[in-house]
Amino acid sequence: MNDTGAPPPVPVDLAAPGALPCADPLGAIAGFAAWLRDHGFGLGIAEQQAMVRTALALPLNRARQLDPCWRAIACQDRRDWRQWRDLFDRYWHPARTRGSTRVSGTTRPSRNLQQLVQALHRQMDEDAPGRAGGDSALTAGAVTEGDGGQRAQGGASRSEALHDRAFAQWLPQDLSQLEQLAAAIARRLRRQLTRRWRDDARGRRLDLRRTLRASLHTGGVPLQPAWRSVRRERPRLFLLVDVSRSMETHAQLFLRIARAFAGALDTRVFVFHTRLAEVTPLLRSDSAAVQEKVNAVTAGFGGGTCIAASIADFRTVHARAQLGRKARVWVLSDGFDADPPQRLAEELLELRRRGVRIHWFHPGAGVPGGAALQAVRVQGDLVEEFLRLDRLADLARIGEHLH
Amino acid sequence: MDEATLRQGLHAAGYVADQDLATVLWLAVELERPLLVEGDAGVGKTALAAALAGALGRELVRLQCHEGLDLAQAAYEWNYSRQLIEIRLHETQSGTLRAADLFSRDFLLERPLLRAISGEQPCVLLIDEIDRADEGFEAFLLEVLGDYQITVPELGTLRARHRPLVILTSNGTRELSDALRRRCLYHYQDYPTLAREIDIVRLSLPQAAHALVEQAVAFVQALRREDLQKKPGVAETLDWIRALHRLGLAAVPDDAQLIRHTLACLLKTREDQSQLDPNRIRQLIEGRRAGVAEREAQA
Repeated sequence: MNDTGAPPPVPVDLAAPGALPCADPLGAIAGFAAWLRDHGFGLGIAEQQAMVRTALALPLNRARQLDPCWRAIACQDRRDWRQWRDLFDRYWHPARTRGSTRVSGTTRPSRNLQQLVQALHRQMDEDAPGRAGGDSALTAGAVTEGDGGQRAQGGASRSEALHDRAFAQWLPQDLSQLEQLAAAIARRLRRQLTRRWRDDARGRRLDLRRTLRASLHTGGVPLQPAWRSVRRERPRLFLLVDVSRSMETHAQLFLRIARAFAGALDTRVFVFHTRLAEVTPLLRSDSAAVQEKVNAVTAGFGGGTCIAASIADFRTVHARAQLGRKARVWVLSDGFDADPPQRLAEELLELRRRGVRIHWFHPGAGVPGGAALQAVRVQGDLVEEFLRLDRLADLARIGEHLH
Repeated sequence: MDEATLRQGLHAAGYVADQDLATVLWLAVELERPLLVEGDAGVGKTALAAALAGALGRELVRLQCHEGLDLAQAAYEWNYSRQLIEIRLHETQSGTLRAADLFSRDFLLERPLLRAISGEQPCVLLIDEIDRADEGFEAFLLEVLGDYQITVPELGTLRARHRPLVILTSNGTRELSDALRRRCLYHYQDYPTLAREIDIVRLSLPQAAHALVEQAVAFVQALRREDLQKKPGVAETLDWIRALHRLGLAAVPDDAQLIRHTLACLLKTREDQSQLDPNRIRQLIEGRRAGVAEREAQA
């Protein structure tokens, strides 16, 4: 995705009078596919071929129906669906999109949908009779993929800039990449055995209860024995987000990260400064006013930050029954604590004793300061890792270490 | 069949589809690809499949997904009782019985997926709430959705006689795999617009007064803009208007308390019900005028 959000080549509006005839319809579709890929659509060759087939199947007088047809082919989830209208219009109707038209003397292929369909039909007629025309068109579509691929490369290189941009400078539309990344990290979190088994020389273990239950089908004769199998479950994630004054500039983006994880994984999200409050239900609803709600929740909190007291509250009240070997606690905080310095280490030790793995994310460069974190470091292995989290690349890199 | 005919067919089957949805359905028929319909609960995803079956004159085969759904419930199961009887019969007759005789189509119990691909006539296969099924089952579906075939180890691969039109629905409670998504066309079913929802209600409840329908639908549309945990779907709108009609009302009453008593049809959580106090209901009915009038009265 580029910074301005303008499609790569200069477009010609399909509604514009005197639009150029569409000389390369397959190229135009390949360009559109590349444009969608630039914006995070998972569009493969098969989808691109389906788009060409749809354009061929549509009669000329229904060329406008390409929009919903292509949307059904190209979109894979709600995020794509919501982006579609804007992306489609910016590519095919640039004149309708204010500020996206540039002036240039060079001649470029038209993006008139009706002419595109017409050109595709003409091309099909000119080719060998039968299905050969269609096949060659599809093959050509695949060949022009290279063209689109180059554009996609261009898009990828532009997205590098976004990758390295600090979260604080992000635009709302960039956050869709964050959601994708959170989903990828959530998928990578290894499933763990719920119970460890010793090898048994007699082989698999019979599940007697299920075998007897299944034998009811066969009149009580256990024809199909049921075997016990190991169960694996994903770890349970808890995010503790510091929303104190010292984190004012980062808290909102950390909350967006938390929201992305809440959507991708079964995650419980808490916010704290002097006290702790759970905000998971607020993050689940699809409302833009998350920050306002969190502010409302934390409105009565006093100034300062009590990390240790908040973690104690989290451990003994909110997540008491859920903290075990499968629990992962991610603390998103700069580490400045108003509690006695030793107390944070004691609270983290209590968490570690229950098998919880703790990661600490901080926004600043270098090692986070504060006497409390110094005390934690002295203890050695209370926190698995201190990780900097200030840009998308940080999160992508961090994902490789989380398990 | 073009999309205009399809749209008329859906309307005749009691479903009001907009132009885009009709086009997507036409495309699913044309490309013979499954259609994944996502959207909040109550926006008419399941009803779409039923209406589509009616419009196309096909049988509807429904597979309701749930946690723990397995192959035996979804695709096929061997009829063990019959196999046992067959074995006993051969024992008494001292005839020879091979394993292949027992594992033939005669002993196979067809469950929805197998029934859909082995039917004499093409059908509409509804795989409802796929997000409730386990990931393992999703992987099994890939063969059915991609190649319209089911492999039974004892019999081999059973290919579809006629490709069914497959509609998958999801409420988005779980992220579906990319592999599944890529085999499907996608449609996001949002809450209907005011005009479309009025059409839907009129089609389903022709006996309700026009003023009641229009005002009630406008109220529900405003309610959906509130910050609710569970927004009312079309099914809830129909329930509510049916309730108001049964109360003998020809228009939405001005009495906020009376409306509040019927809101059980629309709001399904305690938090949502407590959020909508009579003042807020009045504001939703009358828009800004209520707020202004109250402020003036207080002043």
